[in-house]
Amino acid sequence: MLERLYKLILFFKEYAILAGFLVLSFILMAMNDNVQIKQLRTLATVGVGVLQNQIAFIPRYFRLAEENEILRRMNLQMADEVSRLREAKLQNLRLRQYLEIKEVAGYPVQAANVISKNLTMLRNTLTIDMGSKDGIAETMPVVSPEGLVGMVVAVSDRYAVVNLLLNTDFRVSAKDQRSRVDGIVSSNGKDVYLKDVANSQDVLVGDPIITSNYSNMFPEGIRVGLVTSIESAPGSLLKRIEVTPSVDFVNLEEVFVVLRTPDSERRALESSSRR
Amino acid sequence: MRRHLQSSVIVLVLVVLQATFIPLLNINGVIPDLLLLWVVYNGIRRGQIEGVTAGFLVGLLQDLVTTQFFGLAALSKSIAGFLAGYFFNENKTGVTLGTYRYLLILGLCSLVHNLAYYTIFLLGTDVPGGLTVITLTVSASAYTMAVGSLPMFAFSRMRF
Repeated sequence: MLERLYKLILFFKEYAILAGFLVLSFILMAMNDNVQIKQLRTLATVGVGVLQNQIAFIPRYFRLAEENEILRRMNLQMADEVSRLREAKLQNLRLRQYLEIKEVAGYPVQAANVISKNLTMLRNTLTIDMGSKDGIAETMPVVSPEGLVGMVVAVSDRYAVVNLLLNTDFRVSAKDQRSRVDGIVSSNGKDVYLKDVANSQDVLVGDPIITSNYSNMFPEGIRVGLVTSIESAPGSLLKRIEVTPSVDFVNLEEVFVVLRTPDSERRALESSSRR
Repeated sequence: MRRHLQSSVIVLVLVVLQATFIPLLNINGVIPDLLLLWVVYNGIRRGQIEGVTAGFLVGLLQDLVTTQFFGLAALSKSIAGFLAGYFFNENKTGVTLGTYRYLLILGLCSLVHNLAYYTIFLLGTDVPGGLTVITLTVSASAYTMAVGSLPMFAFSRMRF
């Protein structure tokens, strides 16, 4: 009987072996939750993981297009994020600087954002987001940490228009900080000049120009700019002094309005004396 | 003895490649099966017993290095090795391995192998069975056949 069975198995040995392996496979499948099996597989997985780590630099060619698309999207998002972070950082730096400005020449200031700019030769104005509700009034000086910006010329409840130093209608009494020589700062819409300075007076290139105490509109000592060129026109008694404003009007984003109106007593007295 | 040692080295290399490099070639989740090439080669070259034994051992090794169903690759590769062994003919080994016949046998074994593998693998899962099994089976078999053309060209230049 056993011999017959043995012969039968020998005759169908391929099938017998296959059946044996299949049974073994099913037993292994049934042992999937076995702790030893799990540990063995963990070891193998760790080994393969190490190898996979070594070839991680090889690109997945068939997924390159898809990956490129994902990377492009991520790049766009990150560029946007970086841009916003950079913007926030710059704003932070500016605001830190501005925090130090609480008053100018003893007058309180009101911070404002520049909401529009017109830097054309004929206009040179900007609009700020603060108005009469915030205590802003016409003729108030406008400054930035770098120096004089201009003067408020029109006010609504929530907005104000500022004539810049570059505006052709703008005038301010100023002086050479070094030599104390006085003059009037005005602009032709493009360049700024210190006018009414006699040829004999001491002004040098590089001298800082500041507002003078002769002005009833602006507090004394606000930086206007630096002297960048001096010319003496033949036949003229006055120097042609060009001043580069210390404020970069193109990149100006925040300003401070000095809450100061002209001294009415002084104005009245000066008016009456002229009559 | 020397032959078994050589086979072991080849299998180890193939297992490592299958677990590391081959996944990089995946197309929509389908990858070729290098180990199946070896199992089918063994079946054609040495017959059903060697084919089924190689299938079981190689499958077991593959099960170890993958985190999937343990024993499933051993089962499906045993069947594939057994099936490949049907085409064993000592006098025509070179002709079978070095021509398109190898690809046809590989395709058939691959279909049976993948059908068994994916049917059991997807049993009891939420994945809709029939169509998924057929899609995976056909696409994986086609990919394996395509890759199998490389050893076929190599076999055509060898003497058996």
